[in-house]
Amino acid sequence: MTPKVGIIANPISARDIRRVVASANSVQIADRANIVQRALAALSACGIEEAVMMPERGGIASHLLRSMERSSNQGEARFPRLGFLDMKVTGTVEDTRTAARMMASAGDVAAIIVLGGDGTHRAVVSECGAVPIAGISTGTNNAFPEHREPTITGLATGLAAMGRVPPEIAFAANKKIEVSIDGGAPEIALVDVAVVTDRFIGARALWRPETFRELYVAFADPEVIGMAAIAGLVEPVTRAEAGGLAVTLAPAGQGAMEVRAPIAPGLIETIGLESWRRMPAGTVHRPSLAAGSIALDGERELFFDPHQDVAITLIDRAFRTVDVSAVMRFAARQKLLVGGLTAARPLENAHS
Amino acid sequence: MTNNPFPLSRDQLLAAYRTMRTIRDFEERLHVEFAKGDIPGFVHLYAGEEACAAGIMMHLTDIDRIASTHRGHGHCIAKGVDVHEMMGEIYGKSTGACRGKGGSMHIADLSKGMMGANGILGAGAPLICGAGLAAKFRGDGGVGITFFGDGASNQGTVLESMNLAAIWNLPVIFVVENNGYAESTSVEYATAVDSYVDRAAGFGLPGVTVDGTDFFAVYEAAGEIVRRAREGGGPALLECKTVRFFGHFEGDAQTYKAKGENDFNRANRDCLKIFASRVTAAGVVSEAEIALVDREVASLIDAAVESAKGAPLPTPRELLTDVYVAY
Ligand SMILES: Cc1ncc(C[n+]2csc(CCOP(=O)(O)OP(=O)(O)O)c2C)c(N)n1
Ligand SMILES: [Mg+2]
Repeated sequence: MTPKVGIIANPISARDIRRVVASANSVQIADRANIVQRALAALSACGIEEAVMMPERGGIASHLLRSMERSSNQGEARFPRLGFLDMKVTGTVEDTRTAARMMASAGDVAAIIVLGGDGTHRAVVSECGAVPIAGISTGTNNAFPEHREPTITGLATGLAAMGRVPPEIAFAANKKIEVSIDGGAPEIALVDVAVVTDRFIGARALWRPETFRELYVAFADPEVIGMAAIAGLVEPVTRAEAGGLAVTLAPAGQGAMEVRAPIAPGLIETIGLESWRRMPAGTVHRPSLAAGSIALDGERELFFDPHQDVAITLIDRAFRTVDVSAVMRFAARQKLLVGGLTAARPLENAHS
Repeated sequence: MTNNPFPLSRDQLLAAYRTMRTIRDFEERLHVEFAKGDIPGFVHLYAGEEACAAGIMMHLTDIDRIASTHRGHGHCIAKGVDVHEMMGEIYGKSTGACRGKGGSMHIADLSKGMMGANGILGAGAPLICGAGLAAKFRGDGGVGITFFGDGASNQGTVLESMNLAAIWNLPVIFVVENNGYAESTSVEYATAVDSYVDRAAGFGLPGVTVDGTDFFAVYEAAGEIVRRAREGGGPALLECKTVRFFGHFEGDAQTYKAKGENDFNRANRDCLKIFASRVTAAGVVSEAEIALVDREVASLIDAAVESAKGAPLPTPRELLTDVYVAY
């Protein structure tokens, strides 16, 4: 039996207020199903015979099953066998967590393909343990998953899961940031933690810079969108290097300097900035704001009151991802997807 | 309290709570009174969905118009329709908002911009396009909001209206109150395009989904959407995922709900409890102030039921008055 690949596709990502306060788009349900189908076809091409998927009632599975039935009616066997986890569907982010937990404990899932935005990836990482993930962006704030054709992500995941690429090449280590209130079980962020003055969760997204106070980032890429862009534009930090960045923000006009940052799609705001410093792994940071809320990867998730203790800690090498670009380069070098009846060779010199 | 971390003032927070509490008590009381048999027709109770009406209507004034549904009491209360007149109307009395001729499903008060509850699913959507067009011509900055359920969302009228609102760039907002059921049919079964945001996208409108049991989520999203529409930014869709505590109508045995579903929702998804605990924990509103609103609302509802019961029925001579309106 070949290893299984897990698939977690979130039907509820990319539905939030950023479609109105910014120009965020949304990948439609039928398109999400189509993306899964492309990834499945790629997995099958690598020899994966079985995939297991998170059940949901948002329509992805029903679209997918309809189109897989159509293709099997036509005699095509382009997909691995697809099973669904036996779990209760709540229609919330809990489903993503449950599915990731079940895939991690099953023991035979070699990798998990995740469709969603930063929020979905965060939920998977919180439960998937050592199982590597391969992200496909269908959410709003997509600093974490890289933008790439899902067929390629599927091929790389298939090759890595089949063991055709050495693990030290196939998988990359990633950082995360933990946030714990009063010593409770930590919540995590994969990209950034922002401390803002609102003391309610509300519509979750962040789009009012006057409320921004502090920012902690695991990586800061000037090419990404979202809160991490603020850090990325002052001091880039790669995904691979150790440690992150802690930035003190201020309302525009009140900080030592200002940065024009793309904090959401189509939304470039002036952000006041006081100072920034490296954030070494393992050191606890405490917000200086007495009460407010905490946004994880751009969405307000937690609020804290003045008597509460908030601890923010960066963790190095916290979870693994499929390094799609490394896998595909290795595949090309080693001719993993190349075969032939005769030994074809490149023309060495067209003139001789 | 100097430091208010909410997007509403203390007084506004109390007003929002009062609106939600009034709706809740109004509906809980109707649930009891309807069983006694004095109320004619059907009533569809809004309990559980209060944060949707309150969170949206806080952004409106009397120039803004709404088109409501068969489950319209909450919309009426949040839009400022007088509770005594509503109760009178539901009892079919001449003191009612429509002189007792409309009943629960036809309460209207144009002076408040409340264009009417509506027994026909999806009928509010074309009406609100008319209101939106009028506001646009008048240039008064008014907006129109149509409410409809997950079931009604599949009516052709709703889809046609989204198209019309889009091409005419009307200041119109489509609010889906998705409580998971249309009568006894679950939304998963009945809706082919599984996301309302996708559906709006099909007409080029931005759509937003929020937790309709979180007043602040509804309030914030509605605030942005209403402002955008007022400024000429065009129509949008807002989906509020919510819960209905009672049956579809009073007398519904609710056999289609899971065992314990109502208890779970009342314990964990009660928008009033969620709101009250947040504003009191932040120290902006005290528990005593919340309790005072509770007492005041309880006596308001008592008085409204009392006076509706005691009020006269319309007389046979009034049969044809107030029925047709000439413009
Ligand atoms: C055009 C039309 N078709 C059918 C009905 C009967 N009917 C009344 S309420 C209802 C279900 C409505 O469900 P939904 O739109 O989800 O609103 P909810 O009752 O959940 O608030 C139906 C089918 C009607 N009133 N109008
Ligand atoms: Mg419904």
